[in-house]
Amino acid sequence: MSKGARLAVVLVFVAVGMGMIVFGVMTYVRENPPTVDFTTGHRPGAPVHLTIQTVGTIGFGPHPSWVSYLVKAPDGKWVHTTLWKVPAHTTIDVTVLEYDGATPLRNQFYGEVQGVGNTYTVNGRHMSLIKATSTAAGVAHTFSVPHLGINIPLYAVPSSESAHECSSAPCHPASAHQTITFSFNSGGVHEDRWQCFIPCGAGWLDGNGGPMQTIGYMGGFLEVTA
Amino acid sequence: MAMTEEARAGTGQHGRITARERQRNPWLGQSVITGFAGAAIGYLLGHLFGNIIASNYAVVKASGVNNVSICLGLALGTLGWLAGLGAFNYAVAKILGYEPAKEEETTGWQRYFKMTLDHKVVGLQYLIAVLGFFFTAGLFAEAFRTELLSPYSHFIGPDVYLQLVSEHGTMMMMMATSLVVGPFGNYLVPLMIGARGMAFPRLEATSLWLFVAGYMVILTAPVYGGFNTGWTAYAPLQTEARGGMDSYLIGFGVVGLGMILNGFNQIVTITNLRAPGMRWTRLPIFVWAMLTTGFLLTLATPVLFVGAYLGVLDRTAQTSFYVNAHGGSSYLWENLFWFFGHPEVYIMALPGFGLVGEMLTVFSRKPLFAYKVAAAGMIGVALLSFFVWQHHLFQSGINPDMRPLFMLDTELISIPTGFIYLVGMGTLWRGRIRFTLPMMFSLAMYFNFLIGGITGVYLSDVPVNVTVHGSFFVLAHFHYTIMGGLVFAFFGAVYYYMPRVTGHMLNETLGKIHFWMMFVFFNLTFFPLLIVGFLGMPRRVFEYAPRLQGLNAFATVADYLLGLSFVVFVANFIWSMWIDPKPAPHNPWQSRGIEWQLPDPVPFHNFDRLPLILSDPYHYGEEDPLPVADFRGGGALAALAEAGVAPFDAYAGRPEIAHPASHISDPGREV
Repeated sequence: MSKGARLAVVLVFVAVGMGMIVFGVMTYVRENPPTVDFTTGHRPGAPVHLTIQTVGTIGFGPHPSWVSYLVKAPDGKWVHTTLWKVPAHTTIDVTVLEYDGATPLRNQFYGEVQGVGNTYTVNGRHMSLIKATSTAAGVAHTFSVPHLGINIPLYAVPSSESAHECSSAPCHPASAHQTITFSFNSGGVHEDRWQCFIPCGAGWLDGNGGPMQTIGYMGGFLEVTA
Repeated sequence: MAMTEEARAGTGQHGRITARERQRNPWLGQSVITGFAGAAIGYLLGHLFGNIIASNYAVVKASGVNNVSICLGLALGTLGWLAGLGAFNYAVAKILGYEPAKEEETTGWQRYFKMTLDHKVVGLQYLIAVLGFFFTAGLFAEAFRTELLSPYSHFIGPDVYLQLVSEHGTMMMMMATSLVVGPFGNYLVPLMIGARGMAFPRLEATSLWLFVAGYMVILTAPVYGGFNTGWTAYAPLQTEARGGMDSYLIGFGVVGLGMILNGFNQIVTITNLRAPGMRWTRLPIFVWAMLTTGFLLTLATPVLFVGAYLGVLDRTAQTSFYVNAHGGSSYLWENLFWFFGHPEVYIMALPGFGLVGEMLTVFSRKPLFAYKVAAAGMIGVALLSFFVWQHHLFQSGINPDMRPLFMLDTELISIPTGFIYLVGMGTLWRGRIRFTLPMMFSLAMYFNFLIGGITGVYLSDVPVNVTVHGSFFVLAHFHYTIMGGLVFAFFGAVYYYMPRVTGHMLNETLGKIHFWMMFVFFNLTFFPLLIVGFLGMPRRVFEYAPRLQGLNAFATVADYLLGLSFVVFVANFIWSMWIDPKPAPHNPWQSRGIEWQLPDPVPFHNFDRLPLILSDPYHYGEEDPLPVADFRGGGALAALAEAGVAPFDAYAGRPEIAHPASHISDPGREV
């Protein structure tokens, strides 16, 4: 084989190798659920209404038994994602439809409402603290954005109503649920990680595996754009 | 039907294929192709068994992950891989009452894709395998450094970031334990001690193919959702991690088994197969490094193997060795892991010092300074390395009274390490230094290791450790010792020994570009990380304080260029070895080592007659040094005695005593 032919063989292998690496990066490392965009058509100064729901079992996809968040897109459809794009310096009015039961905590800290002033309500009632250690009707999940100092305990569906619990997403409002509302300001342009801090990954030791570690389920990003 | 001699071969030769047929088509026998087929069959069987056994387990139903089928698939896949390669042929033939034939000498590039008993082929196979490991793990590093360009804009999510960090760390640690022992230990030790091969050539080959299997097993982790525990896999994170943790535990077990076999083989070979006259005081310093590393591998790695096995049981059979809530202890894993993990640091450091010890003497034309101190230092490091592991657990809640003890132990180990370091400095002192590529890498190794070593002394102090534990300071420290030390020594040795191994020199211009890029950008990557660690940036967190973005972005860009330096190396390697190979002169560095006196290429059995070793190989710069060996097994000595010549006076520089094919009997006198 001539020197040129050898060089050509090497270059072909390099090209194929690079292609495989790029393919690997794009399909694995960058594999993400879709982003729901609340900036398109947004009027400056107007608040963004963000409606989300938490379900005990998603009921479909690769992990049908996993606990998960869903978000209602501007067109009114429920989307299984935790990546949301919102405008900067805007009030975000959040409504959470919480369909899951309680996960008792050993630490009351996550039961405290933080970072949203006095806008937090549960079924229309203003509250500032949820008793997190209760198994009957405690905290199901949290919506926490560490960078913004936000921690929202999501009040659980009481165990007495477990017969009416939703088991497949998106859940219908006829199922037992709690309605939680709060507001916060999105701040400047940045990207914030948010996460549920309640160990709710059923099937994993101490509940911290699976959905707790996976974007699209119990954690995601809040992309704040200009 | 009677079997032919070839049919009984225990090294991958197959039943009805004759030697002539095999020569005509080398792929007819067992090779990596049959290895892959065996691995696929084994994996599928294991997966099937796992599903039959455990698909009804409550935990499997709840989590949707069947760890039993993953673990069995990976374990049986590894066995199938070895069986497909022919690793069990010899034992099976013996059990069936056949006498396996000896392996024939084979040529051609196909032999590199087979199981072979030739330690020189195994050495080169190991070289390619460790480079594959190294570059794959390096790509993971490029990906997560990209994420660290900004604390706000995210290239990847927190989970994938942790997976990449964990995969990178695990692969690098797996690779680094065999980086020198694998390629250079297997290739050089028999040549350096005057042996015809390793003591257990089948174990040697098996250790290589286990290493390759470990590479494939750990790369399956992303398929099972990865593992996000870091390379330490602390319990309970280990127990609650996704299926990728099975790949970690099985992969580390597989690689660990190969390490044990390799270490054991090194010890037995060095102890028993030294040529006549190869006293302990004449042993090349690299062989001392391999001997001490062999002991570390053999004594420390079983602890990791057992620890991983217990972890697999916790995840599959629902035992609770590491589950505190069920009566186990997460500390058990941490202690087992670091009882292996800290000796492992020296499994990685000692071979590097052995290699540069060989190169420094050649390129400073001086004997190795304080040879016995160097050997004693290596033994001291190996011994003490078993008594320091709990410095990794200072902040874990261990009994505080234990901390001063382990702090003292850890500081003590800097004394024998200092011996080894000062031996290098003493060798350089007033030497006639030649700034060849291998020498530049060796000097860079000492520079980097100094930074790694000094920061290590600080880290061993409990008060400092409490402050910087778990930060990028620790990360930068161990990169300075392992990458700055071992990896620099490794690349120096690649440039140094390639003429011996392949008969071709690596291109010097490209080599210098590689060196300067690697040296400069290694330091520009990791020195800023020492600073960000000191400023409080924790490891394994994908977001960080915005004030640290400048240093992080700087380190990331430097890391890209560091990665580019390896592209230059790969280009050089392929260019010089395959596209435009140029024959290297015999013994191009004028070394006195036995391994350099053998003809090109080294004969299949290395030595027609075992050499008689006459001195250590470090008598550089002496006026009338003794030859290193009588390659006629004492015949030259006898001939001189018959001629009435007093042997040792006459020996100095007598070319007839050297190997007939070697034109340089005493290169030390020529420069």
